[in-house]
Amino acid sequence: MWRVFSASTTGKRNLERGAAGQDATHCLVTDDVLVAIVCDGAGSVPEGRTGSDFIACALVEELSSTLRADRNLTQVRADGGARLEATIRCAVEAARTRLADLAASRQLALHDFSCTLVGCVASPSGGCFFHIGDGFAIARGAAGDCVLSRPENGEYADETYFVTDENWMNHLRLTPLPAPERGSVIGLMSDGTAPFAVDRARSGFFRPFIDPIAAFLREATTPNGNEALRNLLESPRACEISQDDKTLLLAFVL
Amino acid sequence: MNTVIPDVALIDNSDERAPLVLVLDCSGSMQEEKKIQLLNEGLKALAADLKSDPIAARCGRVLIISFGGDGNVEIMGDWTDAMDFTPPELMAGGLTPLGAAMRCALDEVESQKSQMRTAGVSYKRPIIMLLSDGEPTDDWRQVAAECKSAETAHKVNIMAIGIGDQANKETLGHFSNKGALSLSGLKFKELFIWLSRSIRAVSRAPAGGTVQLNPVDSWTRLST
Repeated sequence: MWRVFSASTTGKRNLERGAAGQDATHCLVTDDVLVAIVCDGAGSVPEGRTGSDFIACALVEELSSTLRADRNLTQVRADGGARLEATIRCAVEAARTRLADLAASRQLALHDFSCTLVGCVASPSGGCFFHIGDGFAIARGAAGDCVLSRPENGEYADETYFVTDENWMNHLRLTPLPAPERGSVIGLMSDGTAPFAVDRARSGFFRPFIDPIAAFLREATTPNGNEALRNLLESPRACEISQDDKTLLLAFVL
Repeated sequence: MNTVIPDVALIDNSDERAPLVLVLDCSGSMQEEKKIQLLNEGLKALAADLKSDPIAARCGRVLIISFGGDGNVEIMGDWTDAMDFTPPELMAGGLTPLGAAMRCALDEVESQKSQMRTAGVSYKRPIIMLLSDGEPTDDWRQVAAECKSAETAHKVNIMAIGIGDQANKETLGHFSNKGALSLSGLKFKELFIWLSRSIRAVSRAPAGGTVQLNPVDSWTRLST
């Protein structure tokens, strides 16, 4: 039911100072249930990259195994998604605990692994975006209607919230998703990608951006599609607009 | 297989907005010495200069609040992007409810910031520029104190400017931690060109830093 493509590239700012990219993305489809995550590690902490990779990976594992054990969790129509939302909160908590253990084993604090989180669980009967901090998530229906999860920044640009924050629960934002229909697409992206992929009104994908990509990926194999997305994120125009690390994950409903 | 996706267009929304509120005195005394006409011409120069710079045109967000006239305090239209900004034709008459106008400006700044936050748009610290040629005719002390504390809390930058010799610079000075400046020789046009250049500088500056603005001597007399 799902075809997933993704790419994550290191931005000019990190390349120039010889630093690794801080973005990470992981995704798993199990029995028609998609779990996809994009994380962006804070540039200001020593282990932002480790944090983003760890959280993305751990959350995909936690959520996929819970959802595999209880298929009813994704029957969001029955209870308005309350059980799925509780499951997501528990999974984030568990992933944080595992990261805190890793931090302790290295004599570091959880804060040293700060990263943002944009995630999605989507099953044939519906799903949920979950989001802490910046980045952007869009679920676009076949008719063009969009469900969004927008970035949450602090007072000014460059201030955001992290999964690793003490009060992460206050900033975890859950957005229910309708049952996906054929032709719809879910997009998750880090804050380096959103400036050129989201329209000016922040109401959905920039159509001249997503339409050619969707047409191309429809015909592409997964490795080719991933490489094409990587080439796009590394294109001179994309790098001119954003010097930040860039991640884009697109899940198409077949 | 080819791995370059053809015909993809990228939009550029990377810029951060630079909000600007102009709080303009349109009381009866502004009829004297053609001050209101000069103010209107100055606003046109501001609009044209902002539009002539692609970054400022995209980043600038402008709102005009007038006080005086019949309606006391009036928000002249909605917040507009600098590229779409057409100044209103201001008329002079009535009292000088400066306190109420600044209260309105503080509220508008906060509500615009909250709208931008909801929309996921990042922004620079907003600027409120207050221009007045007289004495407030309403209760202004409480609002002035709030203006100063909003500045201290880094919520906004306030520039208080007196027009001509009748302006009470001491009162205006209570609205900003930087005190008040005087517009010399009714050089509205020079003032607004300077403001436009400041918005250009702010729109290009990295977030969280400070911006060195151009010297203000094109429109003000600085005491030495």
